[in-house]
Amino acid sequence: MDTHFAQRRRRDLIVAACLAVIAALVPLFVKDVYVQNIMVLTLMYAALSQSWNILSGYCGQISLGHALYFGLGAYTTALLFTKFGVLPWFGMLAGGAISAVIAMALGYPCFRLRGHYFVIATIVIAEIALLLIQNWDWAGAALGIDIPVRGDSWLKFQFARSKLPYFYFALALACVAWLVTWWLEDSKWGYWWRAVKDNPDAAESLGVVVFNSKMGAAAVSAFLVAVGGSFYAQFVSYIDPESVMGFQFSLLMALPAVLGGIGTLWGPVLGAVILIPLTELTRSFVGGSGRGVDLIVYGALIVAISLALPKGLVSMFSGRKEATR
Amino acid sequence: MTAPLETPLLETRGVWQRFGGLVANSDVSISVGRGEIVGLIGPNGAGKSTLFNLIAGVLPPTQGSIMFDGEDVTRLPAAERCQRGVGRTFQVVKSFETMTVIDNVIVGALIRNTKMRIARQKAYEVLEFCGLAARADKLAADLVPSEKRRLEVARALATEPKLLLLDEVLTGLTPVEAQTGVELVRKVRATGVTVLMVEHVMEIVMPLVDRAIVLNLGKVLVEGKPADVVRNPEVISAYLGDRHAVGA
Repeated sequence: MDTHFAQRRRRDLIVAACLAVIAALVPLFVKDVYVQNIMVLTLMYAALSQSWNILSGYCGQISLGHALYFGLGAYTTALLFTKFGVLPWFGMLAGGAISAVIAMALGYPCFRLRGHYFVIATIVIAEIALLLIQNWDWAGAALGIDIPVRGDSWLKFQFARSKLPYFYFALALACVAWLVTWWLEDSKWGYWWRAVKDNPDAAESLGVVVFNSKMGAAAVSAFLVAVGGSFYAQFVSYIDPESVMGFQFSLLMALPAVLGGIGTLWGPVLGAVILIPLTELTRSFVGGSGRGVDLIVYGALIVAISLALPKGLVSMFSGRKEATR
Repeated sequence: MTAPLETPLLETRGVWQRFGGLVANSDVSISVGRGEIVGLIGPNGAGKSTLFNLIAGVLPPTQGSIMFDGEDVTRLPAAERCQRGVGRTFQVVKSFETMTVIDNVIVGALIRNTKMRIARQKAYEVLEFCGLAARADKLAADLVPSEKRRLEVARALATEPKLLLLDEVLTGLTPVEAQTGVELVRKVRATGVTVLMVEHVMEIVMPLVDRAIVLNLGKVLVEGKPADVVRNPEVISAYLGDRHAVGA
């Protein structure tokens, strides 16, 4: 039985490595900037959703306020760079660290709430943060921050002419988020989180400190999402509160994981690969007037998938052995 | 640090538990010695489950203290008591339904083994001990009720408890299943684990336990050898009503 389990984990790792190599080669053949843009966003959302999945999928604490950490990452990086000239690489780490600390500070009261009340709290807190940023003059208030682009540079992590560096960074981020999840899945934290999700009282009776487990999941999840936010700020080089902290980001992080298979290793990747190109394509092809149409597509898709595959898209591949998780 | 052998493993001293106006436990003082199998019995509403939860650390008592292994654990939360050697099962089974049977047990094993490989090995051994090894890779949700009860026991045993608290693990089973359960409890004791079990079906527990403590209306009614307890008029009246006690 031990070997069966080890075999599955090794197979996951090999599949992931193959996919990463294939993904890395795609830009050699696909030169279209529009398509490259979609690929960057797909990888970014795969990473974000994978990170969201740690807290909400594995640990079962559904957050619809992760836009807060995305925005914190974006703003920390942009502010440090424009106000103090701190390189985005440090901004990224600072944004991640700040988000992790804030996630725990918010978790301290919120993790006493259960079920729907917790979800509502996450939405409300993210909205409050959005309002605060919108009224914070030093941080650009509602106008946002323009990140000055002074030519291509890995040091400053900004590229005016090519999307490729962003593509490879997004790919690396998706790989890191996946690997962190892979590693956590077979660690004591992974087991504790799933136990907490399934039955907190039983977990507590087995020596799991439920509150601390949730705090740990929140910190890891927020850190990774904030790194994604930092990346996004560099990628678009202009941020305003609504465009990095709006509620739609919270949904866009949750949806790939939910569609792909919540609390699974592959769910977020699979969900992002299907969902993000679809939204981007509908958004462009249905045209400017179609602001609502991509949302209609989401809606229809979610309804269709949840009816056909309630355990997410991964359950199509898993057959017998893993339909479980 | 382990306390001297002559101190009881578990002791409740004058424990009271009030829920608003309701007194669930009043001045309960019991003790459980090392290596014993003790039955905590009594009719419905006697306060067994409350006392059980106080010992497991689900909530602190309104008044009184709880000593475990020579130390005061009255205010310690459940997870900390598990760390010190109190394992428990739940009357209404609380399996981790989306996890496999072995993964359920690994959660328990992780408190003593930080290395995953060793925790997995340990979990497998416990499953074999409990007769569930063949079900290791099944989802907990797919087990039949009697297997779920055994999974509760396996999970608790994986935490390597000194004291195992069993909450009605034998209730609601077929006679054959109950007999298997009884044998499992004996096997557990044989490994040196002390057992405190709550049951309200006397026929099942009396042959198994070394000593029985009868609770009624939140108080200790009688305690002693099973054979003496079942003949006690007060016990009979608590279970069946005063009319029967006279004829007994």
